[in-house]
Amino acid sequence: MIGLLVLLPFAAYLGWLLWAAFFLPVPLSYNLRSLWQRKVSTFSTAGAIALVVGIFVVVLSLAQGLSVAFVTSGRDDQALVLRPNARFELNSSIERERMRILKVHPLLAREGEQPLCSAEVVAVKLFQKSNGDDTNVTIRGMEPMGLRLRPQARIVEGRWFRPGVSEVVVPRKMQGRFPGMEVGGIVKMGGRQWDIVGAFEAGGSSAESEIWTDVADLMQAYKRDSYSTLLARLQDANRIGEFTRSVDEDKRLKLEVVTERAYFKELTKAGDPIAVLGNLITVILTGGAIFSAMNTMFAAVANRTKEIGMLRALGFRQRDILASFQWEAILLCGAGGLVGAGLATFANGIQTGTTSFDTFSDVGFAFTITPGLMAQGVAFSLVMGLLGGFLPAWRASRIPLTEAMKGG
Amino acid sequence: MPATTTEDLGGGEAIIRLQDIAKSYWREALEIPVLKGIDLDIPKGGYVALMGPSGSGKTTLLNLIAGIDRPSGGGLEVCGYALNDLDDDELAAWRNAHVGFIFQNYNLVPVLNAYENVELPLLLQPLSRSERRRRVLEALSLVNLEDRMWNYPRQLSGGQEQRVAIARAIVTDPDLLVADEPTGALDHKNAEEVLQLMERLNRELGKTIVMVTHDPKAAHHARHQIHLEKGVLDRMVEVNQ
Ligand SMILES: Nc1ncnc2c1ncn2[C@@H]1O[C@H](COP(=O)(O)OP(=O)(O)OP(=O)(O)O)[C@@H](O)[C@H]1O
Ligand SMILES: [Mg+2]
Repeated sequence: MIGLLVLLPFAAYLGWLLWAAFFLPVPLSYNLRSLWQRKVSTFSTAGAIALVVGIFVVVLSLAQGLSVAFVTSGRDDQALVLRPNARFELNSSIERERMRILKVHPLLAREGEQPLCSAEVVAVKLFQKSNGDDTNVTIRGMEPMGLRLRPQARIVEGRWFRPGVSEVVVPRKMQGRFPGMEVGGIVKMGGRQWDIVGAFEAGGSSAESEIWTDVADLMQAYKRDSYSTLLARLQDANRIGEFTRSVDEDKRLKLEVVTERAYFKELTKAGDPIAVLGNLITVILTGGAIFSAMNTMFAAVANRTKEIGMLRALGFRQRDILASFQWEAILLCGAGGLVGAGLATFANGIQTGTTSFDTFSDVGFAFTITPGLMAQGVAFSLVMGLLGGFLPAWRASRIPLTEAMKGG
Repeated sequence: MPATTTEDLGGGEAIIRLQDIAKSYWREALEIPVLKGIDLDIPKGGYVALMGPSGSGKTTLLNLIAGIDRPSGGGLEVCGYALNDLDDDELAAWRNAHVGFIFQNYNLVPVLNAYENVELPLLLQPLSRSERRRRVLEALSLVNLEDRMWNYPRQLSGGQEQRVAIARAIVTDPDLLVADEPTGALDHKNAEEVLQLMERLNRELGKTIVMVTHDPKAAHHARHQIHLEKGVLDRMVEVNQ
């Protein structure tokens, strides 16, 4: 309700401003030229705005990259079975006997006799990045069906791994960030050498931070006797509740079920501290940029006091002056915004990673500066112009007409 | 003191009628009277020089006549309108239609060229671009500056700037021109040129002019001189030309 009370006048003001750009008498070229005339202050203010908008767009793409990494992975009709209270795959374990019972559950989708599910093991191993830092990388062992359950994953070089012969595939993204990950190379894990036989992409999802191999090979190498999780497709997404209950209540199982989507949503929180920090920095910088725009515009208004008085004397009305100076601020900030959005494209395609605070392993993602994000950045700069320009424009519109007559 | 009447100023229909005009400024609770009991009629086609010592209220009176300030008391009718009855927007439209302004410091917009400066007041009127162009060129040729129309103010001499300002004042074809020290910033030669131009506007185009000036030589170009002394009309002198 209060939001509406604030938003309504704001929207009305915005609508009027748009109308004013076309129909009010002070032409915008007058403002553009005034901006051009005071180049130093215009460029320094627009530069500050550009910087803030550039950072804003990069932070947006960061937040978006992280949520793509986790969210695109999830499906509603696929469930992850974990040990109770495990929360994450890495903490979970399911013994072979329970896994056997689980795999014949009647609610699982089937293809002929084959249930659509993959018993998996998740481990982490320390790898050295290209920059010398050590970081944990998730290693996932899966059954052949595991690839079917991840249709977003596709081979871009080489082929998928085969069971029983110590082969792995690595994410395309990881190849740039870690040395020696080329197809044809080898990685050492669990006292064995593994051949890298392929590189894959998975639509930017968190799978692109994992090395994949055959589950039996991985268990053997790591001398593990139990699985971590089961990833399973259900016959019907609506029966997930039923499946959850039966797996929980079955005395032989006593396991926990989460939908894949819910699981990855939980993981997205890994990005929260970064997003919070990014937002904080953006908010502080935005405050500074708005202040700078306001300052510049106040100075411009003070310098043109007589000019404004003269315009009023010639018959221009208060609202003509208000719109004119408000637009001058918006043009100033918008120019900065365009430059800033352009600057942000330099971040485009940079691959980076961050440590997930929950799973303590590396999550890779790429900055993708889309036209949509750039448009958001420019829109953001226009809002800064609106906010920073309002008070100076208001003051300009209140300058007494008699100022025009003052000598000096 | 007798009121200055239209008869005094050469007869004819009054275009400016001031009745018992008062203007005060307030400093906290203290009233500072600037104009007191001004009665004045100025006929259509008159050319009046408003003189008086500094601080006597000349600019204040001119502002009231031109509708850029409002009196504290009394009534005024200018170009057929009782200005007290107009709200701010109406007054703005009235100024645009009826008054041309000539300022001491020209008050040209530095980022607009001569043509655009002259065009400014026309932007408030429902005219086509070509009609505006026709009028701007006409006004510029009247002040003899067609060849300078693409120049910016900084590329013009002070005298030329003031002539551009005069073109801007007449481009809307107003009945009344008000000028506050129009030659105050000019050297003798340029001042003389501007004064002759204003005299032509008065004699040939029939513009009513009210000009504030300190300079007796400038005042000599007007048909009548009015003297203000401490906010009161002191005496009116007919100029013998
Ligand atoms: N906005 C204002 N607030 C308070 N006092 C004012 C204001 N404007 C003018 N005054 C006072 O009113 C008086 C008349 O001022 P005005 O500018 O009309 O004088 P003037 O005759 O034009 O003087 P000058 O020849 O110096 O231009 C002065 O004493 C001035 O200080
Ligand atoms: Mg004065």
